[in-house]
Amino acid sequence: MEEASRASKFVYTFIVLFILWLVVTASLDSQELITGAVIALIVAALTHDVFTRAGLANLHPKRVAYAIAYIPYFLWAMIMANLDVAYRVLHPARPIRPGIVKCRTVLNSDTGKLSLANSITLTPGTITLDVDGDNYFIHWIWVPDEVLNAKDDSEHVEKASEAITRPFEKYLRVIFG
Amino acid sequence: MVSVLKRSLAIITLLIIGYWLAQGLAGVPFGQDKMLVGHYYLDHVKEQTGAVNAVTAIVVNYRGFDTLGEVTVLFIASTGVGALLWERKKRRTAKTEGSIVLTTGTRLLVPFVMLFGAYIFIHGHLTPGGGFPGGATIATAFLLLYMAFTMYEIPHKAFEKTEGLVGMGYVIVGLIGLAIGGYFLFDWIWQTWGWGHDNIGRLFSGGFIPIIYILIGLKVGTELSGIIDNMLKEGVKE
Repeated sequence: MEEASRASKFVYTFIVLFILWLVVTASLDSQELITGAVIALIVAALTHDVFTRAGLANLHPKRVAYAIAYIPYFLWAMIMANLDVAYRVLHPARPIRPGIVKCRTVLNSDTGKLSLANSITLTPGTITLDVDGDNYFIHWIWVPDEVLNAKDDSEHVEKASEAITRPFEKYLRVIFG
Repeated sequence: MVSVLKRSLAIITLLIIGYWLAQGLAGVPFGQDKMLVGHYYLDHVKEQTGAVNAVTAIVVNYRGFDTLGEVTVLFIASTGVGALLWERKKRRTAKTEGSIVLTTGTRLLVPFVMLFGAYIFIHGHLTPGGGFPGGATIATAFLLLYMAFTMYEIPHKAFEKTEGLVGMGYVIVGLIGLAIGGYFLFDWIWQTWGWGHDNIGRLFSGGFIPIIYILIGLKVGTELSGIIDNMLKEGVKE
């Protein structure tokens, strides 16, 4: 993704920080709003270059809509993964087959990769061990047969990515690029 | 003979001291609440300082001089760290750059941590917190940057100037109080100008407490960042 202009980065950082101020103070008192705007201006001036690369492009309506839609989608994925792990823990035979698999992501931006790594770690059963370029190394509580019996490396990566990263990437690719 | 005399003398002395102590303790009412100073603060804190948070009102307003001393202690600690770890030439020696998760997470978190630190020290007179925890929170943002990026260093010149200016600012606020009200750290904004009397509990109240806490927050933040910088850098041979 191309680098945004300074002004765009600054305005984007200011907007995000001001929203955070509203959440933290939980007040619409005019004195709080004025102070929040001043503080957000100062912090944005100091940190906009560190905070963002894409600037205001992040607030494109399609991206915001996908970001909002991602929340219930992710919560649902997390609930299902929780039930799955609970089943494995409570089952008398304890059907676990742990292993480390390799996935390849289609995401390009750093923020997208961070979100994907955190989404994988937050869903029980999978933990991101390392991110190296486009490759994710993931510890999996139950490595299924098609990944375990993959004929070669590319098939292994393909099957593992299909199961772990693709469902999140559908949304994250639109949100973060 | 001598030992008996000595012993009786000791016993008589003990009895006299014991009687004296008992007399003194008899004057103290038993089983009564003795928090006279505490109750005085709690009863008068709103009208005298305009702060809702009695703890910060005591720390900054009633005992402002003590807090100035604490800031001085922190300054001396930071100077001490600087003196102990002094080298002619120092630089970052970390070799491994943080992983993408750490560096990107740091980029995203730094503005939020700074804003939250500012929130804590600006609301010192309303909510728990104040200049010291707020400043420490801001220093955490710089610690994060140090841990994620091998080449990062704080802007030393700007930090040293800020530190000196806010330290002087605290004393100047106290001296203005001396000029207007007759004693050092007199709360001129609340007591003489009477600003904020009609909106106790909102942000622009509490006399000079928010101003002093902003100064303390900046001072603590820059000073702790300086300590982190001193500890993470190592001397190099020329």
